[in-house]
Formats: sequence, structure tokens, C-alpha cells
Amino acid sequence: MDNISFTVKEGEILGFLGPNGAGKTTTLNMLSTLLRPTSGTATVNGNDIRTEPDAVRRSIGYVFQDTTLDIDLTGRENLDFHGRLYGLERNTRQHRIEEVLDIVQLTDRADNFVKTYSGGMKRRLEIARGLLHHPKVLFLDEPTLGLDPQTRRSIWEHIVHLNQEKGVTIILTTHYTEEADYLCKRILIIDFGKVVVLDTPDNLKARLEGDVVTLLFKDPAAIETFRPLLENKEWIRRINIVASGNNYAAISRMMHAQHHPKNIIADKGTQFGGETCSKCLNLLVDNGGRRIPEIVKLADERGVLLESVELHKPTLDDVFLTVTGRNIREEEGSIVDMVRRHRIMQQARGQRG
Amino acid sequence: MVQPLSGQAIYVVLMRELKRYWRAKARVISSVAQSFFFLVIFGLGLGGFVGSFEGVDYLSYMAPGVIGMGLLFGSVFSGVSVVFDRQFGFMKEMLVSPVSRTSIIIGKILGGATTATIQGIILMVVAGFLGAFTPSLAFLAGAVSGIGAMLLITSGFVGLGVAIGSTLNDFHAFQLLSTFVMWPLFMLSGAFFPIDVAPLPLQVAMLCDPMFYGVELLRWCLLGTGTPLLGSFGLLVSIGVVAIFDVLMIAIGTFQFSRAQI
Repeated sequence: MDNISFTVKEGEILGFLGPNGAGKTTTLNMLSTLLRPTSGTATVNGNDIRTEPDAVRRSIGYVFQDTTLDIDLTGRENLDFHGRLYGLERNTRQHRIEEVLDIVQLTDRADNFVKTYSGGMKRRLEIARGLLHHPKVLFLDEPTLGLDPQTRRSIWEHIVHLNQEKGVTIILTTHYTEEADYLCKRILIIDFGKVVVLDTPDNLKARLEGDVVTLLFKDPAAIETFRPLLENKEWIRRINIVASGNNYAAISRMMHAQHHPKNIIADKGTQFGGETCSKCLNLLVDNGGRRIPEIVKLADERGVLLESVELHKPTLDDVFLTVTGRNIREEEGSIVDMVRRHRIMQQARGQRG
Repeated sequence: MVQPLSGQAIYVVLMRELKRYWRAKARVISSVAQSFFFLVIFGLGLGGFVGSFEGVDYLSYMAPGVIGMGLLFGSVFSGVSVVFDRQFGFMKEMLVSPVSRTSIIIGKILGGATTATIQGIILMVVAGFLGAFTPSLAFLAGAVSGIGAMLLITSGFVGLGVAIGSTLNDFHAFQLLSTFVMWPLFMLSGAFFPIDVAPLPLQVAMLCDPMFYGVELLRWCLLGTGTPLLGSFGLLVSIGVVAIFDVLMIAIGTFQFSRAQI
């Protein structure tokens, strides 16, 4: 991490948004005292992470990215052990265990072994465990990684509920922009260990005045000839060339087609629906709807064949692309990261041997 | 830095070990069966040829050694299992909670020593049924002190396991650990043959093996005899060496564990 600085307000949900390897988990590990910062410090709930680590640990709950449940124990035993580690008295412990089981709706499965749980149930149990000792601040590291859309929804609702009903301050990390958009009051975009920007989702999107127009070409080579023609138009605020099949249009089409986020992972020139999308032009345009005919006319005049034109309101994906200059959907982690993520995803789907 | 101990944390780690041990029936059965095969096959096969060592018949001579094998493997592997906890996450859950690493390690050592000793007690009963021990009031007293000896022996080896498990980064090294640490420790322990029949270099190697003193201690408890090499001081020497080994290994294990990164 490289000189980061920020403040979280009490009762807020703050999201760290960034691609894999951006430094999100490292930041959480420092805030939770698992890692010592090489320089600088932070206070969590008024306690310094360097000089008062015990007080910090007492005031936080941490739901890790990979499961830290003991799958050979029952759900209730996992919670009971957690309560003991945090020094809760027997009566308080039993009362709280019932309470958190009820919050995440696992009461009737509490006495089953965790190895029989589905990915979503494990996640819910971990969130329940994170809450057991009534932390002031809850850290959630990629809370819905590898979960299916319905389960993701239900986890989101639990998180919102916790924040609104219990007033728990939540810091979460994610590389899903929809998740950050839905859950977070403010979003901190991290890239290469640096804070790029910190603002509310609405303000972030409002920074991109105008609409996003995505042009997909029959022949990707035409981009280079077409791009200079757009550069002198005053109504085009920004032009990005989006490498690989990861542009917004491609993603949304694939999402609709497959209903599964894992299929987003695509390399340069990946085929989908029979076409190759190696490069697209991504334009930020004032009054996009009205300008599309003009763009199409311009292409026609130059004999450039367009495959498709898409128009949408700026999303956090666009914000991310604009502020960092790269696409959040690109998988740029090391091979070790990828293998590890693969394992996590498999575990989350309950396929672990 | 002195860290406060938490009784609850020690209890959690200890109970976790016990529950996991109790639920892993296949593991318990297979290790008891392994020792059972040693007792029956070696006891019958080699026993007829050997006759007796140090005044007891071969099956009785070997029984404390085979119990020692169960203790050794059970305790070292239970210590080494910290490598799994580190890889599969439960360790993070403990490290992010406000309990000291020393509490975790004490729980781990108590848990590992207890489960390995339970294993030892099962083997003692099995060996008893095979006729390795003469039932008497004196033996009963010996068996009770034997349980104490088992706890003493296993604590140090759990510490050794924790020290190794804290430095290992993958569990493929288990094979190496088994071949180059566990089996030599076991084979040099005098489980199958008395030290005084071995050639001098082997005797020296055996005297350097902490498990040798563990097996001696068990023989004193369960059979009331020991190797003539150490003479009448054998019992005291064995207790002393095992105790020193415990202190050293627990200290090294705690040190390595507190340095380990998740």
C-alpha cells in the first residue's frame, strides 16, 4: 500500500472497490491488526492499531474472504467457540447465538456440521459469527465472492439490515461494481495500492456527465482510423479504447446470456456469440441519444462498418475505467491468485473434497 | 512481551482438538489397527524366535514400544496440524480475536497431548487383552502412572510438531517429515530391540533419541523394568530427559508459532 488515507464515519457502509491485487485485503488486514503497517497508523473505534491492537480486535468483526469456519464442527459449535474467544459469559453467549442465528436464518441448521452447508449458508454463518461479539465495526472481505445471484441478493439484504437496524459500521471490499453501488454509502476506489477517489456512488457517476456510447466494429483495425475523426468533436468528453471482450456491451450481453458472472472472464479476442470482440470504443458523450445518428453517419461516410452501438447511463464500471484508465473486469492477478480464487469459488459452491 | 493467558481460549483450542479427534473415527481405528498388527504379527512371529528380552517375553517387551509409537505419531501430527489451520483459515479466526498466541499454543499442546494419550490408553488396553501385561494390583498402579508418563512424553512431541508445522508452508513436506523425522525417532527408540545388543554407533544414536527415554519410562511404569545400560537410575534419567525435552520443545514451538505468518 502506498500512502493511503481516509476516514470512515460511524454507522456508514464504506466499500473498497478495486481489481484483484489492488490492495483491498491488505488494507483490511492492517486495520484489523493482522499486518503491521510499515509506516503510518490508523485508529479503529478510537483505538490505535499499532499501540492498542487488543482494543482494536475487541471492537471489530472480520469476515474473511476464504472461509475460516471449522467444517468439522457444527454451526452452533463454531459460534460457541467464537463467543468464548471473545470472553462472552455463558448466558450472554447462548442468548447471542440464538440472536445471530435468527438474523441470518440458520436456526434450524445450527446443529448440522458445517461441511453439509451450501456456500451461501457458510457465508451467512460467518457473518453471524462476525456479529456475535457486537462489534462496532464489521469488515467484510469480498462478502459475495463466488455466490450465485440469488444468494448474493440475500447476503446484500442481510448486510443492509445489519447496518440500518443494528447501526454497525461496515467496511467491505469488492470487485463487483453492482455490489458497491447497491450497498455502499461511499466508495473508495483503490488501484495499485493507491486511493484513486472517495465519494458516494451518485457523485461518482455524476462526475461522468453525459452518456456512455460503446461502438463495436466489424473490423477492429478500423478503430485506429475512426478514432481521430472523433477527437475534435466538442460533444465527446472522453474516448477510451477498451481492450478485450470486457467492454460494457459485451459484459451485459454475456450476463444476460449466461446469468453467471464467472463467464465474464475473457481474454483478448474471446469469441462470444460467434463474433470476436478484441477492441471497442467507449465514448463519453453529451446527450448521447441524439448524437448516435451523427456517429453512425460519420462511420458510413468513411466506410467503417459498425457491428453494434450501445448507449447507457454511466455506471460504476465506467467510473472505474475513467479514473484508473483500466477495466475493473480484467483479471490481472498472478497465476497463484487465480488458482486460489478458483479454489475459493469451488469451496463457496460446496464442492470441496 | 508477556501476553495474558485466557482460560476460555485454551478451552476452545483443547475442545476443538478433542471433538475433531473423537469425530475422526477412521483415523483412530486405523492407527489402533496399525499398532495391533505390530503387536500380533511381530509379537507372534518374532516373539517365538527371540523368546525374551530383559527378563520379559517379547510381546510384553514390545508393547510399551508400540504404545510409544502411537504416542509419537499421534502427538507430532497433532502439532503439525497447525499447518492446516493456517492454510484452511481457522487460525485467522483465532489470530484476529483478542486472545494471545500463547493461549492458543497451550490449548494446542494440551489438546494434542490429551488425544495422543487417549490413543495410548486404547493401545494399552489392546496390549493387555493380547496378554502383554500380568493383571495385578501392581500393574494397575503402574498403568495409572503410565498415563501420567504418556502426557509427559506427548507434550514435548506436540511442541516439536507445532515448531515444524509453523515453519512448513505446504503439507507435501509431510512425507519427508514422516520418513526423516518420525520413523528414525521411532526405530531408534528401542521399541523392538534392547539397546545393549546394538553396536556402539547405534547405541549412541539411540541415546540421542528423546523417544528412547519415553519408551524406557513406559517400560518402567508398565513392566517395572528398564535397560540394564542405565541401571537403577534408568527411571530417574528417563523422567529427567523427557521433562527437559518437554520444556525445550514447548519453548521452541511457542517461539516458532508466534513468529509464523498466516
